[in-house]
Amino acid sequence: MKLFNLIENEVIKMISKKRLLFVLAILIVLISVFAYGQNRTLERTKAQLAQRMGITATDDWRKLADQQLIEMKNRLDSPYMDEKRKSSLQVRKEQLQYDLDNNINPLEQSAAKFTTKFMEQSIFLFLPLLIIMLAADMVSGESTSGTIKLLLVRNVPRWKILLSKYLTLIILEVLVVCLAFVLSAIISGFFFGFGGWLAPVATGFKVLAGKLDSSSVFNVPQWQYSLMVYSLAFFVAIVVGSISLMISILVKSTAASIGIIMSTLVAGNFISYFLSDWKITRYMFMVNLRLTDYLAGSFQPVAGMNMLFSITVLLGWTIASLIVSFVYFTKQDILV
Amino acid sequence: MLKKSIWFTILTVSLLGLILFSIGFYQAINVTIASSPQSSTNSPLPQTPGESTKLPSKRVNSFQVLILGDSIAKGTGDEKGKGFSGYLPESFKNDTSKEILVNNAGIDGLESLGLLEQVQNRSLDKTITESDLILISIGGNDIKSLLSLNDLAKEDAFNTRQDSYLNTLRETLKILRTNSPNSLIIFLGLYNPYEKANSIENTRLLNTWNYNTQQLVEEDGKGIFIPTYDLLKFNLARYIARDGLHPNSAGYQALSNRISKSVETIIAGS
Repeated sequence: MKLFNLIENEVIKMISKKRLLFVLAILIVLISVFAYGQNRTLERTKAQLAQRMGITATDDWRKLADQQLIEMKNRLDSPYMDEKRKSSLQVRKEQLQYDLDNNINPLEQSAAKFTTKFMEQSIFLFLPLLIIMLAADMVSGESTSGTIKLLLVRNVPRWKILLSKYLTLIILEVLVVCLAFVLSAIISGFFFGFGGWLAPVATGFKVLAGKLDSSSVFNVPQWQYSLMVYSLAFFVAIVVGSISLMISILVKSTAASIGIIMSTLVAGNFISYFLSDWKITRYMFMVNLRLTDYLAGSFQPVAGMNMLFSITVLLGWTIASLIVSFVYFTKQDILV
Repeated sequence: MLKKSIWFTILTVSLLGLILFSIGFYQAINVTIASSPQSSTNSPLPQTPGESTKLPSKRVNSFQVLILGDSIAKGTGDEKGKGFSGYLPESFKNDTSKEILVNNAGIDGLESLGLLEQVQNRSLDKTITESDLILISIGGNDIKSLLSLNDLAKEDAFNTRQDSYLNTLRETLKILRTNSPNSLIIFLGLYNPYEKANSIENTRLLNTWNYNTQQLVEEDGKGIFIPTYDLLKFNLARYIARDGLHPNSAGYQALSNRISKSVETIIAGS
């Protein structure tokens, strides 16, 4: 039996199990809630600003922005300005200039901003949880229901079966990440308007000697930034998917495997608290999931941790769990 | 049949997504690891020299003014673009026959720490040494952000901010004094540009800030603190620029007049 047919079989199986529909439903509900919440926060901020400084800050923002822009130009031209701060100032100036040229109040949200923010916030917990929902049950589900016997008695090598399952998982991961993007772009569009994809976003932060270095920042358009964020999210999805698959093979019980990987992930969120004192924690995959923070320059610089390091660690985990999965799955005795 | 078409849709979508994500992933790595090509184009920014930064050695028949600090020192908000650099010489003209030369090293948005870095940087040393009068305006940007806090957090944040500000300012003044033992140092106090933010609490904090600054500045025998709060309190509409923060032309003129009135005997005597 060809690998292609096996994958097709697996995909159809996943769809008929309705897991994907659950994921879809969760995404729709959560994105709507977040977008609504963002909208509320935005309105409250505006009200506060108006109360504090008069109408100026919200309605007459152009005047304020014009003034800021002149100030920034002056600062950039000043011979007394620190050379190192210039590039971040330049970037801020470009952003403000864009807002002015296109008449966008910098305070306002846009679908593009929301979509990016949504994934930046989901990448370390929410997205992995969705992936776990799909992955944790792929092998252990077959063990639980006993269908694994039917699968293995066919004249197909075991590695091929597992490979088809793994490729199916990747297909589903692409779908989930794409769905997250499309849904948040559409749903938030109803709240904030559908635009904002061309606005400049700052990126290019580096860590030099344990310090955040913004001397080489530059602007990229929002759509490109979003693409990078969602690509990193997809990478994270692959990593988490591979690890879940391994646990699903080792444990054989869906509930237990979901429990194990979920608790690991949740623990990862506070283990970084000990990170500074306990160096080995940085080699755990959970603390390296916030890849998008490197793009946004919003991370707490820890010596030795940068994009390359995190990606290497995550890749290491992926490859290791794949090896374990394949070796164990081809060697194990199936006793059901 | 339906399942077949679903399968093919899913397959195409996934393949397209996979390609797209690979491109994005590659870009993301490029952006964070490789040095950006833009960084090199950013560096050669126009180095417009400030108004006569480099002067020949001190001339006997000239009176040199150095203006240091934030946007107010620089003259931001003046629709005529003059600021203190323009109005101070005009006000001093009556008091001295010497030629008045102004160096303006004001930077928009400068905080006290930035000013300290600026004077620690040796490039200004010569200008400082040659100055007969140093006008400083700093601190507004240090406390501007405090306005957005609620009253409880504000008090705490204010105290920490003020402590570090006073220490930095003390250090700055010390460096200025070391380089220029005889110059007159004029420090401009803060005013409240926001009509809406004149609660008792805000006013009290601003007064505390000004009072402590005044104490510090006047520890020096040739230092004077000139308040601006009183001059602007009822004149916001007249003296504040359209940005609602900086003085306008008339505002700078009024402040220059006040400064020259306070120090005219010293200028006439020098």
